[in-house]
Amino acid sequence: MKALVGVGAVVLAAIAQVTVAPLFPLGGAAPEFVLLGLVLITAFSGPPPVMWLTPLAAVAAGWLSDRSPGLMLIAYLPLLPVGLGLEESPAPLNHYVRTLAMMLVTGMWLRMILAFGAIAGGAEPAVGALISDVIIPGLILDLGLLTVVYIPLRLAGLAGQGMTLQRSRYY
Amino acid sequence: MLMFSRYSWWVASMIGLAMLLAILGQTGLLNPFQGLFLRATAPVEGVFSGIFRPVAAVLSGIGDLNTLRDENDRLRLENEALRNEVAGLQQDAQRVKELESLLQITEGGSDATRVVANIVHRASTPFQQEVSIDRGSSAGIEVGMVVLSSQGSLMGSVTKVSGETAFVRLITDTRSKVRAEIAGTGAEGIVKGTPDRGLVLDLAQGDIKVGDAVVTSGLGGNYPKGIPIGVVSEVTGTSQDLYKKVTIQPLVRLGTATTVLVNVSFLPERLSLEDE
Repeated sequence: MKALVGVGAVVLAAIAQVTVAPLFPLGGAAPEFVLLGLVLITAFSGPPPVMWLTPLAAVAAGWLSDRSPGLMLIAYLPLLPVGLGLEESPAPLNHYVRTLAMMLVTGMWLRMILAFGAIAGGAEPAVGALISDVIIPGLILDLGLLTVVYIPLRLAGLAGQGMTLQRSRYY
Repeated sequence: MLMFSRYSWWVASMIGLAMLLAILGQTGLLNPFQGLFLRATAPVEGVFSGIFRPVAAVLSGIGDLNTLRDENDRLRLENEALRNEVAGLQQDAQRVKELESLLQITEGGSDATRVVANIVHRASTPFQQEVSIDRGSSAGIEVGMVVLSSQGSLMGSVTKVSGETAFVRLITDTRSKVRAEIAGTGAEGIVKGTPDRGLVLDLAQGDIKVGDAVVTSGLGGNYPKGIPIGVVSEVTGTSQDLYKKVTIQPLVRLGTATTVLVNVSFLPERLSLEDE
């Protein structure tokens, strides 16, 4: 049942990415609903479901936006390693800050990968536009969206999960 | 190295899967599955668009209140001037009616000159401006065909087709290049998309003024000649410059258009030659 909910959430997020997100741009950046979904599932269910939902999300988002699913998979890839790196870092970061940092780092990586993918496809390399129109507004959007969704979920009683993989655990 | 220690096997397998997906995507083996997925998700996309598009329109209207007020004042003046011209345009109106009957706009059908399609979704980033439409190869649409607004202005061209859907690269996409000319003067250039979803006319020489109409030149064979693209909104540079920077305002609001026409009777020259 949990698996079905996860699949449904990812597919709906991918559909929202191509129907709703373009309607609410900030500068040249649009909200990244698929990434937001993956980050929230990681934060509240732990890494195991995200390990198989990530390729599914990449395929769904790629097919809906006519991008290469392989490129999308590379774009979502740093999520779990960054999460683990933050959890094991010596800095005393609470769960919200770790989740936020995970979203910001992966969001920046995702937008850079998509921009480089477009440049490789023939777009003119505009580094200034990438930073001012994509990266910075994207970080603001990620920060706002995650906060708006994360805090109500914590207030509703959902407990934050760690990033450590446990042996003999099945999802 | 620490962060990869426990996820290394997963990261490695995902990189391998990404490469496999990229190869399968290049060979086109995934296209049928993509087509099925697009068909299955289309109803949900319609529901999402139906709910959120009006919300976005309201929010956009609130944000642009001052701009809309100024635009309203300007339009009032233009309206008055245009009303004065109506009397002289009666004969042209008759001619337009004749041309409209020749366009044979129909709702689908592979034998149609233009196929009406609805925009299903948008992939919009500063570097990528694409939309998908609810008509595909079953309606006679092929890669390279020209896509127009409901009023006949250039919107883009088809880049990928499946049975019931097609993807359209808009002219504001930074990868888009359209050979164009200034109507009346013949000054030629290349219309390119910019990261801020605008249009510029590159490599154009001659006396170009704000308000000049820009149309496709037909050179290169990718677009028919004479399709309206936009009007010149800004010309910067000095008389010493070989090429001035020409900014174009598209005739159609590409971000809010919901219906398009696909010209199924025109294929780019390059593709036609490849077919032979």
